[in-house]
Amino acid sequence: MKLINKTSRMAALRGGVAVLALAGAIGAAGVAHAATTLVETGSSLLYPLFNIWVPDFTAVNPGIQLTTTSTGSGAGIAQSMKGLVQIGASDAYLSDGIVKKHPNMLSIPLAISAQTINFNLPGLNGDNIKLTGPILAGIYSGKITMWNDPKIAAINPGIKLPAHVIIPIHRVDGSGDTFIFTQYLSDSTPAWASTVRYGTAVSWPAVTGGIGANGNPGMVSALQANPYAVAYIGVSFADQVAKDSLGVAKIKNADGKFLLPTATTVGAAADSIVTTTPPDERISMVFAKGADAYPIANYEYAIINAKQPDTDTASAIQTFLTWAVTSGNAMKYLTQVHFLPLPAAIVTLSKTQIAKIN
Amino acid sequence: MGAVMKIKPFRLSLLGLSLLIPAALGAVVLFLLLYAGQAISFNGFGFLGGVNWNLGNLYSDPVMTRGVQVPSGADYGILVFVVGTLLSSGIAILMAVPLSVGAAIFLAEAVPGTIRPVLSMLVELVAVVPSVVFGLWGIAVLIPLIGTYLAPSGNGYGLLAASIVLALMITPIIATTLLDALLRVPRENRESAFALGATHFEVVTKAMLPMVRTTLVGGIVLALGRAMGETMAVVMVSGGAINILPHSVFSPVSTIASFIVTQLDSAQSDPTNMAVRSLAEIALVLFLITLAVNACAKLLSSGALNVRSRQH
Repeated sequence: MKLINKTSRMAALRGGVAVLALAGAIGAAGVAHAATTLVETGSSLLYPLFNIWVPDFTAVNPGIQLTTTSTGSGAGIAQSMKGLVQIGASDAYLSDGIVKKHPNMLSIPLAISAQTINFNLPGLNGDNIKLTGPILAGIYSGKITMWNDPKIAAINPGIKLPAHVIIPIHRVDGSGDTFIFTQYLSDSTPAWASTVRYGTAVSWPAVTGGIGANGNPGMVSALQANPYAVAYIGVSFADQVAKDSLGVAKIKNADGKFLLPTATTVGAAADSIVTTTPPDERISMVFAKGADAYPIANYEYAIINAKQPDTDTASAIQTFLTWAVTSGNAMKYLTQVHFLPLPAAIVTLSKTQIAKIN
Repeated sequence: MGAVMKIKPFRLSLLGLSLLIPAALGAVVLFLLLYAGQAISFNGFGFLGGVNWNLGNLYSDPVMTRGVQVPSGADYGILVFVVGTLLSSGIAILMAVPLSVGAAIFLAEAVPGTIRPVLSMLVELVAVVPSVVFGLWGIAVLIPLIGTYLAPSGNGYGLLAASIVLALMITPIIATTLLDALLRVPRENRESAFALGATHFEVVTKAMLPMVRTTLVGGIVLALGRAMGETMAVVMVSGGAINILPHSVFSPVSTIASFIVTQLDSAQSDPTNMAVRSLAEIALVLFLITLAVNACAKLLSSGALNVRSRQH
């Protein structure tokens, strides 16, 4: 069975090559992507969305095969740079250093995501406890150790906070969630910005009792197993967090408002940077200005090498990415993972970047 | 004349094949040395003694430090992971040895020959359970148990959980090697000990165990190698410590292997490559530790401690 599949695929491939040669000869670009295989790897946060996309995309584009795997944003970046995969998925945009070293690498936003700050406080998980960047930075650097710390109590009047040690949970693996969480701490807390800074993996300050967990699923189970813990979790896991009856915190934004991640607040964060997004679209949405802007939101990126080895691969990538930022941004896909669509101006910028692939 | 000149193709091909394994090993060491070379000279001896591991700021321009381009603030110290590796596998061995010696003696001495194959097969089966399954069991069963009943902070992730999971994974390795050796102890030894009026306990401890000491040490070394190199199960239950040394069995730890696998993704986005090179240097350290353990075991099993060598 497998053999037959392989043979028929080989035949199709050969057919595709023949068609291509012909198409090239007569200069018709329209049929240029027959039986092209694209491989995507990277962000585990973006992976569920790719999985929802693939059947519908291949239904309209039967000539393109798309294989998806979930590894990690770091792997997505590294493997697309090396040309091992055509599409790298990442929650973080490429750093200046990488762009300088590899000027052909593009960071193309595909959708908008956010992150929740969750906690497990017996009896209080129904309350949306308020937390700020400096308080979270204090917790994650071991300076705020008790739930009834005066700093936390002061912004949560009426809530009886327990006199219990806080257990901060961080990701051990390289993660876009760590990237945007530490970016929030850096943007809101100068002391964090000058010491720990931000990245997909940071040098977490030593906190007695602090735990490292692997992946978003690991964060959810560690939070559930540890009452009095606090964790940062990608919004695509919001359903699981709700199912486990864990608490969601209201987070203080740049304008001093405490907000939950909703379509309105995350959308406001996206809207606030539309006009400042540069042509290469490498920009942080974290701690965006605006009264309604949720502070921990981000673009989900496709990391693409603009110089592809052949034209049919390049045009297949273009076809897919164009589909992803238009039809793929329909709410019927995005609501399943709690993502939001790109604003129209950003779709235009992404399309301009997509056109550079050849 | 003809006999001297005769080329023996069979022997030669065997020689070639047998050299493949040491060649592969040599290639790995060579690769690690070459790849980690720059990191070794950058990190110096502080590498082993440093508690802090910091990839530096990957989102700003690299800076020139000690003659090489590295991300600003980059500082690689691996004491936490070396300690985590040695402690977790050490405690695992302490738990696994009595368990597996007991199991092997039970299977060799207390079980009828007809049931023995079935039971020993069950023990062997435990050895082939994928480590991720042990990790899942650890998360679902062990961590809530430790968190609820043992840990003062209520947190089950840490050194103890990692050690217990490792102990379970290596127990069958020691038990099956020991069982095979016990079954090969000559019947005469056993029976003459009984004839001298020894109790069953004395027969086992005085007549049989001394004869299988070498095998036991060998089994422990194999198990230790497995425990120190185990990755996935440790990642899942150890609580992934960074920049902090454990102060009790309930403290989160990281082992060398678990740390390499969790850091590699981010290290790859370091434009100067120093992070990946430093990870290669950690791998080299792990390699040297396992080598040292093996050398010690060879000394223990062949040297002065091995008073009786009547097995062969």
